[in-house]
Amino acid sequence: MPTFLSPLPLSTLKLTAQRLGSATALALLLAPVPLFAQDQPTESGQTSAQSASQPSSDAATPSTASSDTTPADDTDPQNAGSQDAGSQDAGSQDVSTADASAQQNPNRPPIPLVPEKPTWDSFHGQLNAQKYSPLDQITADNVGDLEKVWEFHTGDIADGSGDTPATVWSATPVFANDTIYIGTPFYRLIALDPGTGEEKWSFDTQSSRKALTQPVLKNRGVSYWEAENPVAGEPCQKIVYMGTMDAQLFALDADTGKLCKGFADNGVLNVNQWNDTHSVWPLSVLQPPTVVGNHLMLGWAGMDWAYEQAPPGTIFSLNAQTGELEWTFQALSDEMREKSGTANVWTHMSADRENGLLYLPVSSPSPNYWGGNRTEKAPLATSTTALDIETGKVVWSRQWVHHDIWDYDINSAPTLMDITVDGKQIPALVQATKQGFLFVVNRLTGEDVWPIEERPVPQGDGSVEGEVYAPTQPFPTKPAPLLDQSEKPKIWSLADAVGGGQCSRLWNDLTYEGMYTPPTTKGEGALAYPDSSGGVQWGGVAFDPESQTAIVNTSHIVQTMKLYNREDYEEADSGSGNESGFAPQKGAPYGIRLKVAVNWLGMPCWEPPFGELVALDMHTGDVKWRRPIGASQQYGFFMPERWGSPTIGGPAVTAGGVVFIGASMDAKLRAFSLKTGEELWEDQAQAPAVANPSVYEYKGREYVAFVAGGNTILKDQVGDQVVVYALPEK
Amino acid sequence: MSQSRSFRSGIIVLLLASLAGLALSLYAYFTPLTGVDGTLGALVVILSTIALVVMTLVLAPLSCRSGRVALRVLILLALVGTGFAGLLLHQWWLTAAMVVGLIGLLLDMASPAASTTPAHS
Repeated sequence: MPTFLSPLPLSTLKLTAQRLGSATALALLLAPVPLFAQDQPTESGQTSAQSASQPSSDAATPSTASSDTTPADDTDPQNAGSQDAGSQDAGSQDVSTADASAQQNPNRPPIPLVPEKPTWDSFHGQLNAQKYSPLDQITADNVGDLEKVWEFHTGDIADGSGDTPATVWSATPVFANDTIYIGTPFYRLIALDPGTGEEKWSFDTQSSRKALTQPVLKNRGVSYWEAENPVAGEPCQKIVYMGTMDAQLFALDADTGKLCKGFADNGVLNVNQWNDTHSVWPLSVLQPPTVVGNHLMLGWAGMDWAYEQAPPGTIFSLNAQTGELEWTFQALSDEMREKSGTANVWTHMSADRENGLLYLPVSSPSPNYWGGNRTEKAPLATSTTALDIETGKVVWSRQWVHHDIWDYDINSAPTLMDITVDGKQIPALVQATKQGFLFVVNRLTGEDVWPIEERPVPQGDGSVEGEVYAPTQPFPTKPAPLLDQSEKPKIWSLADAVGGGQCSRLWNDLTYEGMYTPPTTKGEGALAYPDSSGGVQWGGVAFDPESQTAIVNTSHIVQTMKLYNREDYEEADSGSGNESGFAPQKGAPYGIRLKVAVNWLGMPCWEPPFGELVALDMHTGDVKWRRPIGASQQYGFFMPERWGSPTIGGPAVTAGGVVFIGASMDAKLRAFSLKTGEELWEDQAQAPAVANPSVYEYKGREYVAFVAGGNTILKDQVGDQVVVYALPEK
Repeated sequence: MSQSRSFRSGIIVLLLASLAGLALSLYAYFTPLTGVDGTLGALVVILSTIALVVMTLVLAPLSCRSGRVALRVLILLALVGTGFAGLLLHQWWLTAAMVVGLIGLLLDMASPAASTTPAHS
């Protein structure tokens, strides 16, 4: 038998597979690709009314950043609820000064923001969210030799078939204190040896395994703090933190795994004690706090599709050692907090310690898809907002969606970077969004790096009662949008043929007047490309400071949004999924149905690729290269890789010129050339790696670690695997 | 004698390829990190390769001409379908096994003895 098989070269078979796979419409028959699974309401909230008037659209027309930037004064009303907000006069003046001095400082290191030593001690690797490692042992030339050095299975896994909800695991493996720390969806915290994967200790929070605010059990990992001047012999000079679905924040000694008795109530902080407005659900702490110096910056997650009125988003600054509350920040005014809610931060934040700034990716207010209860301005909602680290006062804010009625939560920490544009060094940040936009602004002032224009947007069809639409929305002129939302996406003829014209009929029954077409009650609703599935998800943008290249993965997904009046909704409601299905928006006059546009077999109605990896030259904002990433997979059948895959999770980039990423439906881990985008290496994981990978050095050897936990937005495949690779030892 | 040997070798190749396909399908379904472990697709090819084995065993002694023709058509469909499924499952060796099975089937069909001589004659 082997003699028959061996003459067939593997590469030939692979090629044949790809050609056959794509050429044959059969792929569909075998792989009814409901590309995107189902199951879930999500985190965060929604809208903010905004007048924003601006001339439309010429790429050459510089947008008036100042009119769109919200300096401190403008945000006063929004911060009325802040416990310690005080006056908001930290505004643009001071910040511009800081900007100028930062830009003119001749002593500035040539490549600022590059860590002095390899660091991967937080969700995005570093506080600047660059997801960059200066390690260069693994290079584009030798990455093909990577071998698995250890893997660890937590055992904390559920597929949702029993009493325990399915697990969704997006925890970046954190490397600190010569240890790998991970949190699990069963809310256990585990410390592992970085070289062998051997368990050092574990701690079980005994937290409820009920999906109190999510359709699934979720965990986004842990965070780490250590004292700048540790006291010898004292415990808890190094602390790891993890939150739970039921709003408890645990602080453990990083060396022993014992609770830190000096933190809050014997090592546990009840965050829900501050849940005092519309407390229809607990403030789930799924994302670990962002550690900035001796402060823990804490946001929370909830259900913003379920209710018109919900807990309003609050950021808590806590003392890292004691858990004592230092200040709070609210994105909504007192008035709006009564009528609405959320506008929370459910993902990680980034910070520029040198300039004392914390950057919040703020989500939309509740409910997600109707804004009649919140027609006034809410300039801090769906925004990137910069706060003073010490006081929580707003320094500047940029709203990326006015009066958000699309659930366009800002879902990833902005990536901080120093870039050189037209010969001028700019302290910048890039904010990726679900829409596939990359907004690039000066991180000290919030002003445009490349013009961001206010353009007129569709004003609805009059079918939605009480709604007041924003007349314009901000559009970046550079970098170009990661996907072309300017016109209705083309129908994929293959899916249309298989569906007997179903896609064409659907397209004809969908309202689309361009980007930001509002939800409607008519027909099959409005088309959104994309909506809540993104675009870019919480993995965010990676950045190589040497070549000033930004790397980002994006999904291309068409969704439909249909509003139902209350009576019709009760009849139509057939359940909810993860970024799909019905959501009641209780209290509002409308419920919403969100669907992915697929034919009866589950094939996407729009043309591939369904996901891409993109590299951008941040000197110019131009695309260096872009390529489909991964393969879509259903029932085990892989689609051709040139069709790409929707992605969740993000990349890591190294000084060795390698981009590491999982993120795709096919549950593969991949390495790409930073320079060319060529795929250099891949391996199979247990489930889609929807967490960012981490890169670390231990005892002189460079490792890359992935958590493969899956996410039901991609498909119903779960995992409990931590897997680590390195080059063979010589 | 040579015709009979040719006939038998076709059936034997087909049977071995089907058994190999079954083994590969079982491996793909039950072994972690094959990329398709526990999936419906891998289960389908387990069933299709079992069907291939059974059909081959039935084909071997079958003397009825119309029955042989019908069975060969079914086997051909199963080989092509399973081979294609192997491609989409990224189980390249499964596809290779089906190609070998196809060669076996062609050998069997090409043999004049196969259509005129009972296998056990």
